[in-house]
Amino acid sequence: MSKEVLERIVSAGLNGIKKAELKKTFGKNCDSILQNLIDTEQIFVEKKGVAYFVWTRDNYVSYLSQNDPKCKIVLSMTNGKNYSAAKVKEYVEDKVEAVKKIPLQNIVGHENEFKTEFDRRLTESSTSIGWAPFSDIRKKICDSTNISPENFYSMAAELVEKYKERYEISSGGQEGIVMRGLVHGYVRNV
Amino acid sequence: MYAYQLENNPYPSSPTPTEKDARILGGKRHKEAKSAILECIKELCNKVGGRDSTDGDFRVITLIQDVGSGKTHLALHIKNLQSRHNTVCTFLDLSTISPKTIPSLYNAIIKGFESEFFVQLRIKLVEYMRDRAEQGDNSAKKALDYSFMNKLSGLTIKQKAEEIISGKASVSVENIKKFLVQWFNYYESNLIKNVITNSFDTVTNLEELLGMMAAISKLTHRFLSKIVLYEIDEFDGNQDSIEFVKGIINAHLPASVVLLISTPSGYAEIQGKSPSVFDRLEKANYKIDLVGSNSQEELLEIVLEYIKHNDKKGKFTQKTQDELDEKIRVLYDEFPEFRSVRSIINILYHAMEKSADLDLEKIDETAIDETIKHTYPGLKVRGSIMSVPISDFISIRRTCEDESTGTQLKDAVTNLVNFSHEMGNIGKLEKQNQPLDVIYQDPYGSKIGIAVVINENHAKNFEAISNISKSSALVDKLVILTNSNLPSSESTIVINVDKSKMVDLLYFNNKYTDHKIGSSDNEKIQTLARTINII
Repeated sequence: MSKEVLERIVSAGLNGIKKAELKKTFGKNCDSILQNLIDTEQIFVEKKGVAYFVWTRDNYVSYLSQNDPKCKIVLSMTNGKNYSAAKVKEYVEDKVEAVKKIPLQNIVGHENEFKTEFDRRLTESSTSIGWAPFSDIRKKICDSTNISPENFYSMAAELVEKYKERYEISSGGQEGIVMRGLVHGYVRNV
Repeated sequence: MYAYQLENNPYPSSPTPTEKDARILGGKRHKEAKSAILECIKELCNKVGGRDSTDGDFRVITLIQDVGSGKTHLALHIKNLQSRHNTVCTFLDLSTISPKTIPSLYNAIIKGFESEFFVQLRIKLVEYMRDRAEQGDNSAKKALDYSFMNKLSGLTIKQKAEEIISGKASVSVENIKKFLVQWFNYYESNLIKNVITNSFDTVTNLEELLGMMAAISKLTHRFLSKIVLYEIDEFDGNQDSIEFVKGIINAHLPASVVLLISTPSGYAEIQGKSPSVFDRLEKANYKIDLVGSNSQEELLEIVLEYIKHNDKKGKFTQKTQDELDEKIRVLYDEFPEFRSVRSIINILYHAMEKSADLDLEKIDETAIDETIKHTYPGLKVRGSIMSVPISDFISIRRTCEDESTGTQLKDAVTNLVNFSHEMGNIGKLEKQNQPLDVIYQDPYGSKIGIAVVINENHAKNFEAISNISKSSALVDKLVILTNSNLPSSESTIVINVDKSKMVDLLYFNNKYTDHKIGSSDNEKIQTLARTINII
């Protein structure tokens, strides 16, 4: 019954429906149902002229925003605040986005930095035939930066895989990159 | 019959090359290295031509590269060419000599020459003695065992020499020594005696060994007008090997080229063990650089060269070459295991055998798949959720860069959503609403939209994603699958679809559309759906 009453009020839209009409349709029990809906803030009742009209909560707000000048002003002020809030939210989102990008840029930056440093140390350490032990490069880079040996080899492995046409690696040595189950302890530029 | 209608398998099967295998040499880098070695030989030949050789006529070449890159193959290939370049060559693999004693090293050097070399040298030496005898040198006559009785019986010196050459007669061992010491030094005399009698004495110390090597070089140049190429493979930090090579370099063998073959790790060992030898290697006359010997282009050229060389019927057309080329590129890109000459040749040898068993016209994905299953049984496609078989992987991966990939992926994602719906992982499906490719409800009633944006041009992707993001209001959650690396935002989840995920999706799609999904696939498919945020 309560559902049917509410549906009827919803169907009345912005104009609302007379309380008397509801009583006519749903009988005497209608009063208690309406009171229950008022208590749960699902409907709103207001005297208009000599009759009492009933709206759903949303429809009542819309009705007021269209017909009551005071309400119009209040709503426009609220919207202004919403607009400002939206602006603030947008700004925050931009900042969050920027913050999110920082680690990514750092990673890219670190990659480039590592490559430059790696190439420099490779040139320093290589013999006349171009090959250099990874261990020599690792020592130099780990000494001059705060990279751990594990991180060094992880980054070196990524570098060599990413630029596989630019670096050659060779098996042997005590430490290096493991490929095909073999320690590759020597590297050179192609 | 093998693939491409070849009568024989063109690929060698031995883990290390043999002289026969080395007749074919492919690859730009390897051919350049070959030219550099031949250039060195030619330069020395020109220098010593028409005069006696001296200890200044000595060259050292180093060839340093990783294992399996084709160094030994190149050395054996050069050895095969010796008759064309006024060279005699001996190949010495130090790894096969243990212990590396002086007699065993000398024995290996002698065995490393072709027997034909000693036959030719023997003929020339006997002819030399014959000439001396004919000029009236009595000691030469005695050395040839040319007696008064021979003369009486009408046998000429020339005939006697011919009998010795053919093995019908022999020289006088006692007298040959007396003859030789007049004209040759100690080691040369010994060597000539050894060559003529076909019996090589042992040497006991490094001095003797180097003396005999110098004698070989000197006599070869004098009597055959050729230079000697000593190819020494597997040179590393072994102390005996280092002493041996140091001795050779210091001895300045006349009219000789020494080709030292090592690996970067072997080279580093030598650096640590013997700075003086390392310094000599650093100052080698030629340093042959096989840089890029394991690059993709080089491997492709090498692999194709074997088939081209054996393609007598002209069945290996450009189209078939391109097809094989694509398959090998995928193997190279995706499997580090196949990034060396040795490993790729091994795979192709077996694939060729498989093609004969299965009567295939060409090496296809199935042949490669079967081969890998047998020769690399533990090999799996890295990062594959769907456990894509290697044959399917190669076939799908090859088409991953086609223009139709985007459309195929959209179908795959739609079907993956359908499958998830059938499995009860998601709620009801909704009508497609452009620009979103799929819209559905998750189990909690939230509306999810998925868009697939796959372009080679990443700027295009960025533009498309910006446009699609505007549609986020249509759904509660927007998921964009793209091949570009872009961060997610609050309203849009961007998922990077890399090559392996693409292959997984396309493989699933093929199975789904062909109704070949088995119960064992369900879990894998659900995992795949999770990785792209469908469930």
